[in-house]
Amino acid sequence: MTDTAQPVHPSVDARGVAMSFNQGTAEQVDALVDVDLRIESGAFVSLIGPSGCGKSTLLRLIANLIEPTAGQVMVNGKDAAQARLDQDYGMAFQQSGLFDWRTVTKNIELPLELKGWGKAERSARAAEMLELVKLADRGNHMPWQLSGGQQQRIAIARALAAHPPLLLMDEPFGALDEMTREHMQSELLDICAAANTTVVFVTHSIPEAVYLSTQVVVMSAGPGRITDVIDVDLGRTRDEDTREDDGFYKKVTEVREALRGGDHERSTHRSEDR
Amino acid sequence: MLLAVAIAAGAWELYKALGPPDGGDVFGWRIIPKTNDRVMPHIWEMLAEFGDPEVRGRDTAVWEAMLGYSWYTLRMSLAGLLLGGALGIGLAVLMARFRVVERGLLPYVVLSQTIPLIALAPQVAALGGNWGLPKWTWAAALAAFLSFFPVTIATLRGLQSVPAASLELMDSFAASWWTTLRKLRFPAAVPFIVPGLKLAATASVIGVVVSEVSLGLRGVGFAALSYGQKTTSQPATVYTAVFAAALLGLIMFGLVSAAEAFVMRKRPTEINT
Repeated sequence: MTDTAQPVHPSVDARGVAMSFNQGTAEQVDALVDVDLRIESGAFVSLIGPSGCGKSTLLRLIANLIEPTAGQVMVNGKDAAQARLDQDYGMAFQQSGLFDWRTVTKNIELPLELKGWGKAERSARAAEMLELVKLADRGNHMPWQLSGGQQQRIAIARALAAHPPLLLMDEPFGALDEMTREHMQSELLDICAAANTTVVFVTHSIPEAVYLSTQVVVMSAGPGRITDVIDVDLGRTRDEDTREDDGFYKKVTEVREALRGGDHERSTHRSEDR
Repeated sequence: MLLAVAIAAGAWELYKALGPPDGGDVFGWRIIPKTNDRVMPHIWEMLAEFGDPEVRGRDTAVWEAMLGYSWYTLRMSLAGLLLGGALGIGLAVLMARFRVVERGLLPYVVLSQTIPLIALAPQVAALGGNWGLPKWTWAAALAAFLSFFPVTIATLRGLQSVPAASLELMDSFAASWWTTLRKLRFPAAVPFIVPGLKLAATASVIGVVVSEVSLGLRGVGFAALSYGQKTTSQPATVYTAVFAAALLGLIMFGLVSAAEAFVMRKRPTEINT
């Protein structure tokens, strides 16, 4: 990795962030309260927690798709809004969200088109990305001619096309079957290492979070907040053997217990409410 | 398609053969159609009319005259469809862009369709006359008044049908509303717009035919009216105009379908209307 290119700022720096929907009305929902999160450049961070813990909301705050009701989110040392305008991140969702009417290549080119890249540059970069996600021969296919896993790889290629230093992923493998999913996880690690990006990854699968991450952020619901941050020191090169490693199992257990702790807390909260 | 025509023709002849020649009453209302030759001529008689001279003693056959009328009507219908399509899509884009416009305009758009075209024709004629526009544009404008409606509704629905994740994606690219319209909303709306245009295509023909009668333009609608006046002597003649109008509707529909096949050639096949 080229350390000279690393910015001195953390990739993500959220301070005192809170997010309430329908604020000030009877239907107010506190999706997130009092979130502090610092993600160093080069890290792979998973956000994990039960439904309603605000993990997707936190990701959208980092992406500046929504504005926090309190606190501040900095991305690459800038305000999140500026980072979005500067295209400092790429994003991938559970649904690949490829455009039906564009070829695979044209889909990957979309962010480049919006940034005003020239035609030759665009197609060169798209070819490069297709190579990276191992679908070099599918450039002229239409998205619906690809399998779910392949579509998701194209979505990742699209997210990374414009060289963003940060990749935000919202359960990108959630709709895939288990086998494809594990395969995609390994691919993703390779792709991110090659592209040298920091990743924030929302998931509700514990093994997935542990396998991929250098850090697992455990969240809990009601109201959504961060309850634990677990470092995963399984080394940077991980392969299929990692999944059967004792250290891997230990981390899975640790994350599971952290999640249960949060859950427990929540259920006592609830009984107090009643 | 041919089968459908055959069934319709068969049903007509069957009723003619079995139905009461002088009609019938139901609860004192005279609603069962008469089947005599003046009201329900045989289909072959209608077809034979195409070969007869249009005006006794001249050698222009009805089919030749009808071809001329149809071509005139077709051109006005096409103009009406283009105008209505553009207006419909434009309005829908405005409504999708500004919620205020949607809330303010949509009721009037719906209301506009309850105004009979015939009531509107004199106003359009007066306006068109003032602006010195040729008469055919008046008919096209009236046709557009009828055809823009399905396009507006369909386009609006299409523009609003885009999945939230795709909109978030465009947001994440910091794309402006107009860029999002061009790259995402509009292409995504095409499968919705096409059925709207198909409805508009036939509505446009109806609009032109009705306008011809009010404005005195010599197209298929005019022919239907003038042939209708000689029902006593040649009851089958008026049906040649009916056939021509039906055929025009089909041609317009076919044109939109052809455009659809071209535009949608690379889309997934399950989106079919």
